[in-house]
Amino acid sequence: MRSLLDRVPDYVRSFERYVPSRPDPVLMRQFGVAHLFRLNNNENALGPPPLAQEAIAAFPPARGAIYPSGDAYDLRQALAAKFGKSPEQFLVGNGSCEVISSVIRAFCGPGDAIVTADKTFAVYEWVAKFSGIEARLVPLKHQALSPEAMLAAVTERTKIVFVCNPNNPTGSWWNRASLERFLAALDDRALVVLDEAYREFLDDPDFPDGLEVMERHANVLVFRTFSKMYGLAGFRIGYLGGSLEAVDIVRRTHIAYSVNSPGQIAAMAALADDAGHIVATRRMVDEAKSFLRDLFDSLGLEYVSGAGNFLMVRTPLSDTLLYRKLMREGVMVRTMTGFRYPNWIRVSLAQQPAMEAFAKALTKVLDHA
Amino acid sequence: MSEDVRVSLEIPAETAFACPVAGLANVLAERAGFGQRERYRFQLTVEEFCLYLAGLAADNRPLTVGLTGKRHQLRASFAFQAANLSLGALNITSRATTGTLDASVEEMGLLLAGKAADRFHLKHKGADRFLLEAEVDRAYPEAAPVRLPEGLRPPYTIRLGSDSAQLTQAAALASVVYPPWQCPSSFRTPGKFPDMVSDGQTTCVLAYDAKGQTAGLLAWSPCSEQGLYFSGPFVFTSPEEAANVARLLIDGFLETVARESYSIVLSFRATSDLPEASFETLGTLQSFVDGRLEHHPVVFRHLREDNGLAVWCAPQLEDFLRQTYDRLALPRDILPVDAPAGRSRRDSLLGATYDRVRNFAELVPFLDGEDMTANLATHVATFRRQGIGTILYYMDLAVPWEAALAGDLLQAGFAPMAVLPQGGQTDKVIWQYAQLA
Repeated sequence: MRSLLDRVPDYVRSFERYVPSRPDPVLMRQFGVAHLFRLNNNENALGPPPLAQEAIAAFPPARGAIYPSGDAYDLRQALAAKFGKSPEQFLVGNGSCEVISSVIRAFCGPGDAIVTADKTFAVYEWVAKFSGIEARLVPLKHQALSPEAMLAAVTERTKIVFVCNPNNPTGSWWNRASLERFLAALDDRALVVLDEAYREFLDDPDFPDGLEVMERHANVLVFRTFSKMYGLAGFRIGYLGGSLEAVDIVRRTHIAYSVNSPGQIAAMAALADDAGHIVATRRMVDEAKSFLRDLFDSLGLEYVSGAGNFLMVRTPLSDTLLYRKLMREGVMVRTMTGFRYPNWIRVSLAQQPAMEAFAKALTKVLDHA
Repeated sequence: MSEDVRVSLEIPAETAFACPVAGLANVLAERAGFGQRERYRFQLTVEEFCLYLAGLAADNRPLTVGLTGKRHQLRASFAFQAANLSLGALNITSRATTGTLDASVEEMGLLLAGKAADRFHLKHKGADRFLLEAEVDRAYPEAAPVRLPEGLRPPYTIRLGSDSAQLTQAAALASVVYPPWQCPSSFRTPGKFPDMVSDGQTTCVLAYDAKGQTAGLLAWSPCSEQGLYFSGPFVFTSPEEAANVARLLIDGFLETVARESYSIVLSFRATSDLPEASFETLGTLQSFVDGRLEHHPVVFRHLREDNGLAVWCAPQLEDFLRQTYDRLALPRDILPVDAPAGRSRRDSLLGATYDRVRNFAELVPFLDGEDMTANLATHVATFRRQGIGTILYYMDLAVPWEAALAGDLLQAGFAPMAVLPQGGQTDKVIWQYAQLA
């Protein structure tokens, strides 16, 4: 009488499925609120750029019956034109998560390992674990990825080093010199993935451009996304850039036709109309960041504020309890225990009404704690 | 890699196979390094369960037997199908009244099996499928006296504990510094504690001072598919440095388990060094210790966001549940369930564990039956005769028939003390027998 669970590999059996948050109407009913400010997923509160919004609205419903371009042909042409590369240097996926999975499948086999930070975007670690690949986790140093410690963790079994730059959730980042020193010391012993999901929020000339770095280092792959700055999280579009050879390898393990048509069209429109949108978004993020820093200073709360449209704060009560209490006030944040930051929350930076609602709710909850 | 010795086999549901399987159990126990007494108890347990279950099995469906020898324990599991399961003779109270039990030959075998094992669990796997697990513990010598380390100095660091000598010393230190209620029973025989760590049954973080001396300990074990039960933090430094070391231990614990498959962590025996802000207090258990009434907070925290569940609830419990969920800001859909109009079997079955040193017993319902209220009362009386005052009962609100037992519990003198979010398949209610001894 073997159970189904007896039939799966140990590394799948021991893995816990991810439970996403429920839809807003369900959450609002359960927590008894009429409105919900979503400050948990670092979405862009301004939405997509205007041209992308128009493209989405103009999508003919009848095209819903037609398969999308199986390899996002037009979008790759647009990316190539925008960044001065070959279209074959890009691979588009159903969000960065799919691309992470494709890269690990392409480069790692039984007995291999990846190296990443212990407190960073969790999906590198998850995909490795449920694929039977060891994830070697390196502690942060002063809330930042430590190049020295990550180098020390690399062994002959290491196939990929994942560097989230800027890091989610701390917002810390490696500058050009740090990255170059790291790559030189690594000496091509492993592939390096630079995850630049939040790069567009930075306006610092010292921030390395992964798409330029990969031209000089054939072992560098770059992840970017339309889910954050470009406000297209609902369409799930991420992409990978790399050398022709590296992208060709990853393409072998990548599922074709995984990116929907409206998303591809919206992403192209967003690329063509991003200048004003990026400026407006950065302004909103800066204002919200300043507002929250003042709030946390006034409440005497420790916080970590780096690059990106989020900020992390240490809470004087359990983060999971604070989450529920804030939900009752109509504000949704991200608990950080799952990022190995127990009793911290991460708050997405949005427009003033949302920030004020968060400030009011937090103050009320802490006053009654 | 696990050092467990394992045997698994499927046997026809025929009594002729009981003896060879029991022989196999003996061989496995010997191979796992257990003494003669434990080997015999394990052999007897396996043989009697095989005999009894062979008689129960529906349509001669085979019996799947799993035997495992761990460092600290022997474990037998029996997966079987049975249409009308009644295991009343496995109640601990049946063991206590052996002399007067009017038992059939089959029930007597079951009684023997229950008596030979240290504990057993029965899980209903859906429809007519059940899994019965029985455990026999290794016997360990009592702890030798230890002295507290002197001159502990910062900086303090933590790491996962695995060294047998350090674990033994840390457990013995905790037993010296902290009251028995707050220490797991494995600390009283410190050789058992490192074996449990080695077996993967328990995990712990140890704190060290600048010279590598042991400065603290926090241990945890799974208590359900969703929950981890922790003990500690045990801190051996001066009071001025205790808060820092306790914080390191708690953060190390939470960071270690943050991405594991568990949803909650909890404890009834957290020490006074616990950084309270990291946890929620769900309620309080009570006990008499040396004639004094003591309150033990049930502390808890989620490891991830709780966005709601549905739970079954009997009318007698509804006010308590609604007030509790409101206080804890927990979104729950409460589904009504009525008391059973009639029960399909005569004998109920309760799982029971107890610890005389900690003055503490726990009951879990395995099978409902007509005699549930009386069975609860008999268990209470049995524990009382053994001098145990604190008697808890756990109700899983995911299981309608369990939730429907609220009336039986109230009638038997139990009172709901706390709700443990996601403590079972969904939430668990912790009941305590109201009249303390």
